[in-house]
Amino acid sequence: MAGSQSPASVPGEAIGALRARTGGDLTRFLHRGVAWLSARRELALGLGIVALIVVFAVVGPWVWRQSPLQVNLSQSLQPPMASHPFGTDELGRDILARTMAGAQLDLLVALAVTLAGGALGLMVGLVSAMSRGLVDILIMRVLDALLAFPPLILALAVAVALGAGTVSASIGIAVSVIPYYARLMRSEVLRVRSLPYVDAAVASGSGRFRLIRRHIVPHTWGTMLIQASSAVGYAVLTLAALGFVGLGVQEPTAEWGTMITSGLQYVLSGQWWIGVFPGLGLLALVTACSLVADGLSVHGSSGAAPTVLGGGGQEP
Amino acid sequence: MIVKSLAVRLGGALLTVLLASLVAFVILRVLPGDPVRLILGPLAGSRALAAERSALGLDQPIYIQYVTYVAAFVHGNWGFDYNSGQPILAEVTARLPASLELGFYALLLAFVGAVLTAVAAVYFNWKGPDYFFRAGAYFSLGSPPFWVGLMALIVFVQYLGVLPGPTGRLSTGVPAPPTLTHFYTFDAILSGQWGTFVDAARHLLLPAATLGLASYGYLYRLLRNSLLQVVDEEFMAVCRSKGLTRWQTMFRHALPNSLLPAVTGGGLLVAQLVAGSVLVETVYNWPGVGQLVVQSILVREYGVVEAFVLLSALAFVAVNLVVDALYVLIDPRVRRPA
Repeated sequence: MAGSQSPASVPGEAIGALRARTGGDLTRFLHRGVAWLSARRELALGLGIVALIVVFAVVGPWVWRQSPLQVNLSQSLQPPMASHPFGTDELGRDILARTMAGAQLDLLVALAVTLAGGALGLMVGLVSAMSRGLVDILIMRVLDALLAFPPLILALAVAVALGAGTVSASIGIAVSVIPYYARLMRSEVLRVRSLPYVDAAVASGSGRFRLIRRHIVPHTWGTMLIQASSAVGYAVLTLAALGFVGLGVQEPTAEWGTMITSGLQYVLSGQWWIGVFPGLGLLALVTACSLVADGLSVHGSSGAAPTVLGGGGQEP
Repeated sequence: MIVKSLAVRLGGALLTVLLASLVAFVILRVLPGDPVRLILGPLAGSRALAAERSALGLDQPIYIQYVTYVAAFVHGNWGFDYNSGQPILAEVTARLPASLELGFYALLLAFVGAVLTAVAAVYFNWKGPDYFFRAGAYFSLGSPPFWVGLMALIVFVQYLGVLPGPTGRLSTGVPAPPTLTHFYTFDAILSGQWGTFVDAARHLLLPAATLGLASYGYLYRLLRNSLLQVVDEEFMAVCRSKGLTRWQTMFRHALPNSLLPAVTGGGLLVAQLVAGSVLVETVYNWPGVGQLVVQSILVREYGVVEAFVLLSALAFVAVNLVVDALYVLIDPRVRRPA
């Protein structure tokens, strides 16, 4: 959508160009920024939802001052009402407070996993593309082997090996995103490397590291940003899935996946509210991430299309 | 030429499987300090640990351990499920038909739904349906399957009461149809038990729709985009000018051409179904392999998990190989000597 005006290819460049054109004038810069965003409705919608969830997770607990861990058995399984807008769970804990705490945890883990997995994946991809030859073949073969596992299953295996818990689940998710980053980074580096200006840089005396740092890596950021926003959604979804099967975050810590698990135990006895709200949070966050990724990639000029992200442990 | 390019692909797939088994070996046998403890659980005695250790060959050098690990898997010695008291191979084989039937109907629902909605969105070239279906695709890709299952149970079972609850493949008291294909729906039709068929279909509907939802979103986006491309091509104008109606050009010419990318996505769909089945089968109490995996995780019976991890990689590589082969057969442009 909104294909008519696409001045810049990669968002980072676009912002830089905007800043240069506005000459540092803040109001004009903001004005242009709003115009830029309104031409990218998917991106604007996605960023808006993410911002709302961040506010919900960060500001929410300051406004709604109930503990997510406070057990109150006399108040167990209460339907939504004024004192508990989202109801209470089987231990009488306030579900609104738990949904907020879960949002904090999910955002934090998703960010950490995306950065850690992304950094490692980028390095592997860069090394693979720059070395070529035997090292490249070897790395690609290992990546293929990692890609042979459905990502959720790979994360699950790592979590099993390291023992159930938040940290091992996070490590598992990070491991499962590495091959996707690495493969994309490799193809991006190969693409940029073949551009004529890189030859010019070599001819004018750029060393290997200067070439990588100044001339190649900066041009991969756009695509990698798209991949990263997909990966955030994948990480949130997979953390919830691992929590659901009992390998992720453990009780009593509030996390959206485990909250849905306990909702499932009470669904047939009529207490519908336990798992509904955390699921809505998941849906909103993951959808927002794919909206951001799509909004960025609509105008992305790079050849390599990042993998599509989606439900139930798909490609990050 | 076809044979040669297929042989190359087969070789690559075998190599990938071998490396994948190495990855699984490293993760599940080397990474945990004591894999025997992992397999037997915290309550196992020291004699059981020692016996399992020598049975797995853990007193051997690590490369010999790997070779034995692969050999045992190939020979079907997948170990013993101490939870159910059965060999893991027998248990997985017994549960596989339920998972396959669920996956089959999930894929069927997703594919039919995606074709119909994508054609509708492109055919009615106005924004209403396209926005609607695209929002639907975002929803289906963004919603965790186990939450969708929860919502479906709330709406259709608890509130409306029109579909049976999570009681597995059949209602309690309904005997399984005679075994012919292992798919209850097919078996029931083949043996003329219509009551059983209806019951099996009603039990399948929610799990299959839940499992297929993510695949639907993926397929819809794929089909819509490739349909939009095909519709712009010149041969479409030729079809229209020789007198075919828009509907005929759409279904007979545009659709078959736009299905090609969907074939490529086959491997990804299988990965999605395998991962999703673990979650969906647990929600609906579906007696398949995915449910077995989750049950095993909960009682720390990791031998089952180990077998499942390797099996899922095997399935994924196999499907990708079939997809590649299909592609070579369908699209002559790919038939280049490697």
